[in-house]
Amino acid sequence: MKLIISNISGIPIYEQIKQQVKSAIMSGELHADETLPSLRTLAKDLKISVLTVTRAYTELEEEGFVKNIQGRGCFVLSRGSELLKEQLVCKIENSLSEAINAARVAELSGEELHRLLDILMEEKTDE
Amino acid sequence: MSNILKSVKLDFSLVRPYVKTICFTMVLPAVFAAINRSLLTGISFAMCFIAMTSGYTFSITEKNDMERLYSILPVRKSELVVGRYAFSIIMGLLALIFSLITHPVILSSLGETVSTFDIACAAAVGIFLFALYTVFQLPGYYKFGSIKGRVFMYIPVAGFLATLFLITKIPADNSGWLITVLSSPVMLVLLAAVLVVIMYVISILVSVKIVQGKEL
Amino acid sequence: MNNYLEVKNLSKSFDNFRLHDISFTLPKGYIMGLIGPNGSGKTTTIKLILNMLKRTEGEVKILGLDNIADEQAAKKSLGVVFDSNYFSDDWKVSQVEKSVSVFYENWNTQRFSELLDKFHISPAKKVKELSKGMQMKLMIACAFSYDAKLLILDEPTSGLDPVSRDELLHILSEYIEDGEHSVLFSTHITGDLERAADYITYISYGELFFSGGKDEFVDSFRIVKGGREELSDDLGKKAFGIRDFATGFEALIKTEDIKLFAHLNVEPATIDDIVVFTSKRGEQYE
Repeated sequence: MKLIISNISGIPIYEQIKQQVKSAIMSGELHADETLPSLRTLAKDLKISVLTVTRAYTELEEEGFVKNIQGRGCFVLSRGSELLKEQLVCKIENSLSEAINAARVAELSGEELHRLLDILMEEKTDE
Repeated sequence: MSNILKSVKLDFSLVRPYVKTICFTMVLPAVFAAINRSLLTGISFAMCFIAMTSGYTFSITEKNDMERLYSILPVRKSELVVGRYAFSIIMGLLALIFSLITHPVILSSLGETVSTFDIACAAAVGIFLFALYTVFQLPGYYKFGSIKGRVFMYIPVAGFLATLFLITKIPADNSGWLITVLSSPVMLVLLAAVLVVIMYVISILVSVKIVQGKEL
Repeated sequence: MNNYLEVKNLSKSFDNFRLHDISFTLPKGYIMGLIGPNGSGKTTTIKLILNMLKRTEGEVKILGLDNIADEQAAKKSLGVVFDSNYFSDDWKVSQVEKSVSVFYENWNTQRFSELLDKFHISPAKKVKELSKGMQMKLMIACAFSYDAKLLILDEPTSGLDPVSRDELLHILSEYIEDGEHSVLFSTHITGDLERAADYITYISYGELFFSGGKDEFVDSFRIVKGGREELSDDLGKKAFGIRDFATGFEALIKTEDIKLFAHLNVEPATIDDIVVFTSKRGEQYE
C-alpha cells in the first residue's frame, strides 16, 4: 500500500493516513483480512510520531474499517468497503438533495436537472 | 570487577597517551641521584616528579568536560574518588619501585655502596613524601579543578626543597628524638605507615565530601 | 512498569533563576521533546534528572527507580547524549569502548562494532578526528551497546547539519520501534520534533507551560492573520502573543477561540510559532 504524507497540505497527518487507507480499501488495493503496516514501523518509516499513527488507526477502528488485535496487528474488515460505499452513497444523497433544493429555487425542471448532471458527467469523463 | 577497580582502569586509559612522558621524567631523578651521590635525594626527587603528574587525570577530564561522563556512569562518586586515589598510589609505587631498582644500580656503578638499610630507608621516606604531597594535591584538584588549582601541582616542588633542606639539617641536629626514630628502621617504618594511612583516610574523606557537594 | 521517566514537582532555586514545579511523565515506547527558549530550564531539568544538580524539591523516577536513592541501578539502563562529546579527545574509538564497557555488565561488543559499521565510524580514529555528528553517534552507539532503555539527549541537534539531524531522528525512531525504549530529547530547534515526537514538555522561564501529546499541543493553537484595522481589543485579550507590523498582524490564539475570529485568516500553528508567541507574551516586538 502506498502512503504519502504531505507537510504543506494543511491536513493533519493522522487524517491523511486515514484518507489514504480508506481509498486503498475502496480501490480494492487492501483486501479484507489484510493487515495494515505495523504501527511502529510505519511511524519509523514515515518519520512521524507513533501517537499520530495510533490516532489514525484508532479512528479507523472506531469507524469500523479495521480491527486491531493486540499483538497481531490491524486487520481490514470485510465490511470495510461496504461501509465506505454506504458513507459515500450517503454523501452523494446529501449533495444531490442540495442540488434539487437549489434547482427548485432556480425553478429548473427535473428534466433540466438530469441534463445538467449528464453534461457534468460527460465533462468529467472527458477529463 | 569492583567499581573502584573499574575507576582505576578508566584513569589508566586517561593517562595512557602520556605514559611515555611520565616514564621519561623518571630518568631525571636517576641523573640527580648520580650527581648528588645520594639515594635519598634521588628517591625524594622521583617521588616529587611523580606526584607532580597526579594532576594529569584532572586536567584531562577537565579539558574534555568528562565530569559529564562520570555523572552518567553507574558508579558512586565515592567509588570514583577512591579509584582516583588508588590510581595515584599505583603510579607512585611504580615510580618508587623503578627508582629503587635503577638508582642503587647507578650509584653502585659509580663506586658508592648502597646497603639494604639505605634502600629500606629510601623506600619509607619515598612513600611518606609521596603520600604527604598527594593528600594535599588531590583534594585541591577536586575543589578547584586542575586549572584554577594548578598551584597544587607545585606542592611536591616545595616539599622537595623542604626535604633537601631537612636532609642537610639532620646531621647538625643530632640531639633530638628524631635521631632515636631514624636510628631504628622498625620505628621509622611504623611511624611512616601509620601517618600515611591516617593522612590518606582524612584526605579521601575530604575529597569525597567535596565531590558530593559539587554541582555541575 | 509503563513509565520510563516520571518527574514530579521538580524545583531548583539558583541565585538568579528558579525552575519551579515541573512535572511530566514519559511512558515506555515513546519520544518526548523537551522544548523552550534558551535559558528556560531545559538543561537544568536534565541535570536534575541525572543528579548532576541537587534538587530543591520534588521527585524523579527513572524506570521506576529513584534517581538519587537508586542512582547506580537507574543509570545502568540510562543513556545520555550531550551537545558535545564527553570522551577523552585522545582516545581512539576502540579505546572508548575499552574504557566505558567495563562499567556495564551487559555490554555487547558485537553490537558496538555493528553500530560503528552502521554509523560509518572507524574504530581506529581518534575522538577528536570525528565530526560533531559522528561524536554524537558514538555516544549513541555506547548507549545502545548496553541496551539503555531510556535515552536522554540534551540539545543533540545544535550545531549539526541537516543530514546528521535527519539521521539522528531516524536512529531515534528505529530505537523506539520495538516499543521497549523511550527518548527524552531537549531542543530549541523544534522543527526536528515537529513530526517524530509523541509528547511535548514545554518549559518557559522555569515554569511548566504544557506537557502532553504533541498533536494535542499543536492542535490547541492557531495562528490568525489580518490587516491592522482588524486587530480588535477582543483579539488582543485572547491572543497569546501578537506580532504587529505596518501591513498587518499575526497572533497566536487557542483553537477554542477560533469562532470569534472566523472572518480572519486562520492557519494551523507550528511548535515554533507556539514557542515564539508564548515566549513574547505581553510584549510586542518589531
